Amino acid sequence: MRLTRREAATLAFAALVAGPMRGHAATPGILVRSDGQPVNLDPHQIFDVPMMGFALNVYDGLYRYENNPPELKPWLAESHTVSEDGLDWTFKLRGGAKFHDGAPLTAEDVVFSFRRVLAIGKAPASAFLPILKPENVTAPDETTVRFRLEKAYGPFLAAIPIVAIVNAKLVQANVKGDDNGTAWLATADAGSGAYSVVAGSVTPSEKLDLERFAGHFMGWSDNPSPINKVAMRSVKETSTGVLGLMNGSIDMTDSYLPTDQVEQIQASKVARVEKHPSMRTFIIRMNNGRAPFNNLNLRKAFAHAFNYDGFINEILKGYADRDPTPLPNGIWGYPKGAQGYDYDLDKARDYLKKAQAEGFSLRTPVKIHIQSQLEQTNQAAQLFQSDLASLGVRLQIVADTWANISTNVAAADSSPDMWIHWVSTYFVDPENWIGQMYDSQFHGTWKASSFYKNPKVDELLRRARGLVKQEERAPLYEEATKLIMADCVDVWIYNTVELRGVSNRVGGYRFCPVGGGGEMRWLQLKA
Amino acid sequence: MAGFVLRRALLVLPSLFGLLIVTFLLIRMVPADPAAALAGDNATPAQVQAIREQMGLDQPLPAQFLRYLGDVARLDFGNSSYSSRPVALDIRERLPATLELTFAALLIATVLGVPLGVIAAVHHNRWPDFLLRVLSVAGIAMAAFWLAIMLQMLFAMRLGWLPLRGQLSVGLTAPDGPTGSVLLDSLIAGRLDIFTDALRHLVLPAVTLSLGGLATITRFTRAGVLETLQKDFVGYGRAVGVPRRRLVWIYVLRNSVVATVTQIGLLFGGLIAGAVVVESIYDWPGIGSYTVQAILTADSKVMLAVTLLIGLIYAVVNILTDMVHALIDPRLRDEG
Repeated sequence: MRLTRREAATLAFAALVAGPMRGHAATPGILVRSDGQPVNLDPHQIFDVPMMGFALNVYDGLYRYENNPPELKPWLAESHTVSEDGLDWTFKLRGGAKFHDGAPLTAEDVVFSFRRVLAIGKAPASAFLPILKPENVTAPDETTVRFRLEKAYGPFLAAIPIVAIVNAKLVQANVKGDDNGTAWLATADAGSGAYSVVAGSVTPSEKLDLERFAGHFMGWSDNPSPINKVAMRSVKETSTGVLGLMNGSIDMTDSYLPTDQVEQIQASKVARVEKHPSMRTFIIRMNNGRAPFNNLNLRKAFAHAFNYDGFINEILKGYADRDPTPLPNGIWGYPKGAQGYDYDLDKARDYLKKAQAEGFSLRTPVKIHIQSQLEQTNQAAQLFQSDLASLGVRLQIVADTWANISTNVAAADSSPDMWIHWVSTYFVDPENWIGQMYDSQFHGTWKASSFYKNPKVDELLRRARGLVKQEERAPLYEEATKLIMADCVDVWIYNTVELRGVSNRVGGYRFCPVGGGGEMRWLQLKA
Repeated sequence: MAGFVLRRALLVLPSLFGLLIVTFLLIRMVPADPAAALAGDNATPAQVQAIREQMGLDQPLPAQFLRYLGDVARLDFGNSSYSSRPVALDIRERLPATLELTFAALLIATVLGVPLGVIAAVHHNRWPDFLLRVLSVAGIAMAAFWLAIMLQMLFAMRLGWLPLRGQLSVGLTAPDGPTGSVLLDSLIAGRLDIFTDALRHLVLPAVTLSLGGLATITRFTRAGVLETLQKDFVGYGRAVGVPRRRLVWIYVLRNSVVATVTQIGLLFGGLIAGAVVVESIYDWPGIGSYTVQAILTADSKVMLAVTLLIGLIYAVVNILTDMVHALIDPRLRDEG
């Protein structure tokens, strides 16, 4: 049989496009993750959830959080001591740690890293800038690092894992002008972590490849068959990530899987959903700094008008834990037996009447800003809108972006009436939540965007911040939390249950709220 | 002709300057301050201000604009405030992927759209015409994200014929090459395995992106051919015995496609803009998804550079379209 040119071309194209039938597209020997990737690989410039997921694998810190609930464990440091007044901290490094280029990790690298964080002055520095001067980080010998703080700062140790230790010589060799090596490290690797970045594999925000670092200082005896190669591929649409998990081309999604995807994945034979309670809290902020929410009765009316159980059980299908306080469940400093506000439209109506008597008008719409790319903020606002409408309150939903909101909250007048966000676990200390959210000295930052001011609360939080011993700090946070709750500053809703789609060929998964289960040194890949 | 092209090219410069001013002002009108986001959770206003100074955002607006204009004149588009990399480098890495996708979509839309338009016109008010009209309306109305998910479900999940996402399979690395296009560079390097893999990855995004353009080209070609079929030379051609196929597909089509060519030119710019959605769904590493991230993070240097680039592409494509007009229609060439 003779084929015409057109028939031959058609057949060739069909063969090319069709290729082999592939029901299962898993890549042998390579773990494919679809977590969000940091836009910039320099751990001293960015500090967000994708960066934590990256830095936990490529870099090491002096201490590290492990397990759930998180425990702070010595990591590059083997121990530390602190002076009675809480000003002098000394860390002793364990020997034998090496960077990916084989250079030994010394106390000088630790000093360089902390000084670089302070010099760059971006997100990872925010916890340290008010209390630490660069010249007060010193290395008396190769395995000792000393910090002399400007004032005692209780959360100092808890915040220590924020700073990733970088290879000082390597970064210094790539400094251009006064850029502190930021341009170079944005797509490079100067770490000592369990995985190293494969040179030339990085497209920012899109893809990067990692390979196991056999010389990691912790060794690999606790994981006899670790994963050698990891491909991180940024997946922007949840639907694509879930489909990838189901056809085997993706092994791990991020840990914010929408709850409506859980059943579908669980029903499949190729993947599962790892469900772990975390410390990430979900909050509706109220701007206490101006009308209408400078009125306590109105705040209480709103707090009683949110259908907490309906939201958690119906919309989130039970994948969240009710948390009536501004602190995550189970953290030290959490007030025992805290009740919080329940969903009760009769109580809401009573408080609303009192607020009206004090000047609140039902004719004035209240605006709630949502983060339009995060559907759950919209769902919460719509549920709220529906219940408030039954009380005669007009809640106007405004689609917005994080960049806009985090700028507008610089002052009470420009800050929205209400907005919705999560507080992630950047470090495990009440300071990460109520310390930074309700001390009035932080007004102007997004975390303190309620513009709440209570001198008694300020005093308690500042005292707690200046003490080192947890047993002395805990009662102060408990008392402050009770006062904040009595003032009904915000609408506190839940603690996240983090949901991550994981292929059944992946074993050894462990979760820690810090980093959201992104650490990979325990993972295994079945053939 | 050369004078015509030169005049059009000179007009591009003030257009781009105007575009730059408007974009710069629009970006500054939005309150988003990248310094606040970069400063971190509990950064004090002083820390935010220090970052604003580093980024030059504390300068008066005209000073900021003049400084930016000076940089652009030296082809320095600055660094992205988030990635810390030169914007020009980011764009150079990503633009080839977007152009690859856009050209593929335009090719599909043109190769299918023109013949379908001719068929619809020739069968005017008969079932092929009705069918193609319904399909073209559906093609214009159909949301790209819905179509993309349906195609993923069918071809990647159900049949397993095509990849779900991305530009290249995990484990394969695009060869370095002069164009930055994975398809072209793999051909140049003689890596047919990579070329084939990249082509398989391109099919679904390109088909998704092409659909709106396909419908538009079909409709414009149909309208043009219908109009031409009424002209005297067609009846004369029939009378002297020119074969019907030759008459329609050569003489009528050539006299009908001026409007279609204009649409193809305009579509090119539209497809680059439409690539934003398609790139997000298929994780195509182009400038679309890069721009979305820049907007969400208020990365003004990226927004300005991408806007300027798209404006430039529009301008160049318009000039090329006019040149093609002149080639198709000698009357226009003579006027030019």
